[in-house]
Amino acid sequence: MRDVAFSTLEQLGAAATDSEGAFQMDEEAFRLFYERTARPVWAYLSRMSGNARLADDLLQETYYRFLRANVAHESDAHRRNYLFRIATNIVRDHRRRPRMDQSRLADGHDAAEPIDPQSADAAAGAVRRLDLARSMARLKPRERDLLWLAYAQGSSHKEIAETLGLKTASVKLLLFRARQRLARFLREGVR
Amino acid sequence: MSGNECPREADILEAIAFGRWPDGCGDLSAHAASCEVCADLVEVAVALHDDRAALCREAQPPSSGMVWWRATIRARAEATRTATQPISVLQGIAGACVVGAAAGLVTIAWQSMHWMDRIGELAMRLESRRADIATASTFATGHGLPILVAVAAGLVLAPLALYITLADD
Repeated sequence: MRDVAFSTLEQLGAAATDSEGAFQMDEEAFRLFYERTARPVWAYLSRMSGNARLADDLLQETYYRFLRANVAHESDAHRRNYLFRIATNIVRDHRRRPRMDQSRLADGHDAAEPIDPQSADAAAGAVRRLDLARSMARLKPRERDLLWLAYAQGSSHKEIAETLGLKTASVKLLLFRARQRLARFLREGVR
Repeated sequence: MSGNECPREADILEAIAFGRWPDGCGDLSAHAASCEVCADLVEVAVALHDDRAALCREAQPPSSGMVWWRATIRARAEATRTATQPISVLQGIAGACVVGAAAGLVTIAWQSMHWMDRIGELAMRLESRRADIATASTFATGHGLPILVAVAAGLVLAPLALYITLADD
């Protein structure tokens, strides 16, 4: 019995060594896809989570789930949307978990940290981005997702609906309301 | 056109997306200044577009090789964990079988002890007939001894079997 168990384990070990075979693309295809998408996905994760350092971990998780997903993509755009859908779900999962550093999202400091305030323009840009981070933090998570996908990512209503699991018809109205709220917060300035 | 949309939204969004806003958009800029819907759109879209561009510039995501390598390691760990799960279940079943067999042997031994009591009673009854005592003793020895040997063997072998079954390596 002991010998049988060992031989089974050896077989399983060999299968585990080939586990990358379970990924939906090979390393070279992944490299090309990653280089096209990593920065926008990181930006999305960073702004949606409100934490640049956390975005690194969420990025790894996003690509891992993407690689393990056994989904056929009809186009590159579909593949990208699917990636953003995974990222959205990961941020949602993260929001549900109680965190000690949840306050980061509320003040948005972390998101604006990497700004280099060497020039007046950069300083003004930093202030605008800090205002944006704070204003975004006042929105509901779904409003943040909607606005980012629509106006930062440039996704269509149909793509947004697929990514967020909404009906296409309702995206327009939800987007309009979220836009109104964010515009008001930005004009007021959040202090 | 309803109260929450404007036909020029798409033109404004395109200008912002392609970096043409506000320079070279005199007509659109004038419209945005007078249209509440487009004013909100400009306020939000410009802020988010600029923020995304800045974040993408600042982003220092790990290399694709690093992400691939970590994913591979994790996939291997998960595959190994998933694959060894049935073996753990089998080990548990084997352990339960050994315990069950040991319990069965103990039960048989217990019953045999009752049986030997009855043999004793029989011997008492047969005392009056001394000639039959030898026959009864032979009968008890012939059947009781193998059972006792089986119980002893079970007690020795059960821990050994458990060790072999549950040992990791």
